[in-house]
Amino acid sequence: MKQKLKYLRNSLITKDIIFLSYILIFIGLIILFSASKGVILTKEGFFIRQVIWVIIGSILVKIFKNSDYRNLDKISYFFYFLTIILLSIVLVKGEGRASRWIGLGWFYFQPSEFAKLVIILTLSSYLSKRDIKRFSVLFTSFLIVAIPFFLVFKQPNLGTAIIFILIFIGITYIAGISKKQLFIIFLITIFSSPLIWTIMEDYQRERILTFLNPMRDPLGKGYNLLQSKITIGSGGFIGKGFMKGTQTKLAFLPEYHTDFIFCVLAEEFGFLGVVIFVLIYFYFLNKIFEILYLSKDIFGKLISTGIFIMFASHFLINLGMTLGIFPIVGIPLPFVSYGGSCLIVSILSIIVLSSIEKHSVLF
Amino acid sequence: MERENFLKNFVLFFIYLILLRTFYLQILRYPYYYQLSMKNCIRTIETGIPRGIIYDRNGRILAKDIPSINLVFVPYDLKNVAKEIEILSNILNLDKSYLERKLTAKYLNPFDRVVLKRNLTSKEISLVEENSYNLPGIFVQEGIKRLYPFGKKTVHLLGYLGEISKSQLEKLKERGYKIGDVIGQDGIEKQYDEFLRGIPGGIQVEVDALGHQRKVFGKKEGQPGNEIILTIDATIQEIAAEELGDKKGCVAIMDPRNGEILALVSNPSFDPDNLLYYLEGRRGSENPFLNRVIKGQYPPGSIFKIITEIAALETGTIREYDRIECTGLIEVGDRIFHCWKEGGHGWVDINLALPFSCNIFFGTVGIKLGVSQIIDYAKKFELGKKTGIDLPGEANGYIPSPKEADPLNLSIGQGPITTTPIQLLSLIATIANGGNIWQPFIVKKIITPKGDILKEFIPNVKKTVYIDPDALDILRKGLRNVVVFGTGTRAQIQGLEIAGKTGTAQRAASELDLPTHGAFVCYAPFDNPKIAVVVFLDYGSSPQAAEIAGKILKKIFLPEKVEEENETETEIFEE
Repeated sequence: MKQKLKYLRNSLITKDIIFLSYILIFIGLIILFSASKGVILTKEGFFIRQVIWVIIGSILVKIFKNSDYRNLDKISYFFYFLTIILLSIVLVKGEGRASRWIGLGWFYFQPSEFAKLVIILTLSSYLSKRDIKRFSVLFTSFLIVAIPFFLVFKQPNLGTAIIFILIFIGITYIAGISKKQLFIIFLITIFSSPLIWTIMEDYQRERILTFLNPMRDPLGKGYNLLQSKITIGSGGFIGKGFMKGTQTKLAFLPEYHTDFIFCVLAEEFGFLGVVIFVLIYFYFLNKIFEILYLSKDIFGKLISTGIFIMFASHFLINLGMTLGIFPIVGIPLPFVSYGGSCLIVSILSIIVLSSIEKHSVLF
Repeated sequence: MERENFLKNFVLFFIYLILLRTFYLQILRYPYYYQLSMKNCIRTIETGIPRGIIYDRNGRILAKDIPSINLVFVPYDLKNVAKEIEILSNILNLDKSYLERKLTAKYLNPFDRVVLKRNLTSKEISLVEENSYNLPGIFVQEGIKRLYPFGKKTVHLLGYLGEISKSQLEKLKERGYKIGDVIGQDGIEKQYDEFLRGIPGGIQVEVDALGHQRKVFGKKEGQPGNEIILTIDATIQEIAAEELGDKKGCVAIMDPRNGEILALVSNPSFDPDNLLYYLEGRRGSENPFLNRVIKGQYPPGSIFKIITEIAALETGTIREYDRIECTGLIEVGDRIFHCWKEGGHGWVDINLALPFSCNIFFGTVGIKLGVSQIIDYAKKFELGKKTGIDLPGEANGYIPSPKEADPLNLSIGQGPITTTPIQLLSLIATIANGGNIWQPFIVKKIITPKGDILKEFIPNVKKTVYIDPDALDILRKGLRNVVVFGTGTRAQIQGLEIAGKTGTAQRAASELDLPTHGAFVCYAPFDNPKIAVVVFLDYGSSPQAAEIAGKILKKIFLPEKVEEENETETEIFEE
């Protein structure tokens, strides 16, 4: 009996990352199902749509499962330029409004979601062959992130722009940036922010102020934050029960199926459910960390660092904003929130990680 | 591996923080939030979307916001809908089916306030408050009302406001518009809605079981939208509206030197303050919502002879002193074609034919020219095509294909050809300035609430048409003589040289028994044109239209003289 348990534990620990992400996808579907049933006004069957996206993602897994991530080394630059073009199209088409999508017939996709993975690949490919301690290398890698950052910031999609910065810091940190360089970047950021502030238009400043203090806009984000806290807080220790959440069912939270999906979980499954969920997510993040830790190939190591930062920051910022400890930015919870672009990018990232893991064993 | 571990610990630290925060909200603060969630007592109250002021070219206010009191309700708080409908229809004289539709509809958020009636009078407010005990969930609330100081006189120009419709919401959702938003429904208010529209104000409050406010969580002041300065001159706008009076039709006035619209009036009109009255009922054939200047499509009638004349002279089809005999009728094939003057004009050349508007002369010239040449000239002057004026819903008009038209009718502007009054105004302005087709425009500047210029619209020449100088001279002389001794003498005023052309639009063949429409286009002063006018009268005569145009121009150019005359008149009266 004891041996059997030990075997099960071992298999779970060594289980591949794809299996772990499917556990999260499954949890996500359960929560989305609850969020979509019995609501006065559903947003056009998002549960079914999400199921379709999961199927599409699974097909991608099937196709690319055994491909080698090192093929991405050269092709990443191509994807990079494609992404820049798509982001520019979004910007021009949206005329400065909060438009993030490109429509392709029946579905929409968000180039800014794909940009995250593409930046990770490009930056890793660039830095894996060069020494970051040289100033010109640091400057070029800064440019690689700065261009898409600017395009996304202009949309304006503050949340994704922040993720870009975190990815940049994470990858350059692991790539061996010196303490001195880190300090210089820190200083530049401090001194350039007032400059950016003066360049910005009034409405952009207003947006940032609201971002920092949601109560400036009680009809929009302030309302969301207050409702979000009520929803989570009213869940209590064991929650109101599956499909029994009152806050989300009455559509108090407009974005309950995307950015505020965590509220549904917290309301219906309570503190207990949250702790279990956070543990599972941590287990998943830890698995990514193992891959980056054990990777012998610098290209693979940098990629897995980027992906680790991407998932960890999404997870922390998303939960942080629903709990009111982080400003509200439109950032989804990967694998759980409704949204095709985010899910597909997450799955693609996992496929890359899986390949890195396989090859780190072979080395 | 030191750096990797730092990364991991960093993430771990935040995970602890998140668990702590969840513990605080879900365990320690559970009673408080649970209570809030059960009572559903957090309400968002929107206090309206402020809009920017609209000014005329001299800074006179044409539209602005003033505070008003609205009747609102919270769908969730309604107790006995049937009884409340009964009471409301009694005290406020509201339609029962309207109330039922509004009160029983499904709302996205049943706790958001929905406006039931805007702009309550003080009497209505007190009636509602007297009955408030029997009207749970229904309140009076401060809001915003749009004031148009010139009322009916500017309504086709400025448009009016109304709640966003379902189809509009579909289109505008992505641009941040919401259910219940009040938006511009026509005219400048619609065309420039995104600029005029400000940021809604509102408060977020906790209410008790009776819906009374207990605690304010947050407050936001509304911010007005951008201000708009028009090319319109309110004084001229008023003159035009007064001279048109109650007659059905329209007047538009433009500066032929740059395309600035100075006035735009259409009749029948309606009162933007009393929209419901016009929306329910009195629409029919009257259609007060139709802006005739840009949406009315009529045959141009004899005004089209301007085109025929230029075509004939430029192509050399006739010369200045070539004469044709008008006997009053002409036979073409098996059809007989009449001049408007019985007995005819006798022998006329083009210098007489235009002032007398001789159909036989232009018809004969038209046959020589051929249909396709005339059509080419009509297109050259952009007839049958939107002028591009910055108002929503401009109509095209229609230029027939060579197969559809016959030269006799086409050369005098009858048959399947239609134009809008604004196109005719643009045509006369082009003649006045010697060949520049300006894009008519109404908005001069858009200014932010702080006073910075957001957008400035500069005059735009859409096209420059070369007109042979000799032909232009002959045409202008003819247009001047229309007013001096021709069909437009009623526009003649002392001290100002006006040049113009009358037009009588026949109706479609099926409606031949109905009266015709009368039109007049003109510009003044003759030597140095500063103003171009079009007057169009539904079921009116063209001399009547000419008279109105003359009076308008007199008031614009010779206001002292008008005043003097008024004084002498009253003096005589007193004697």
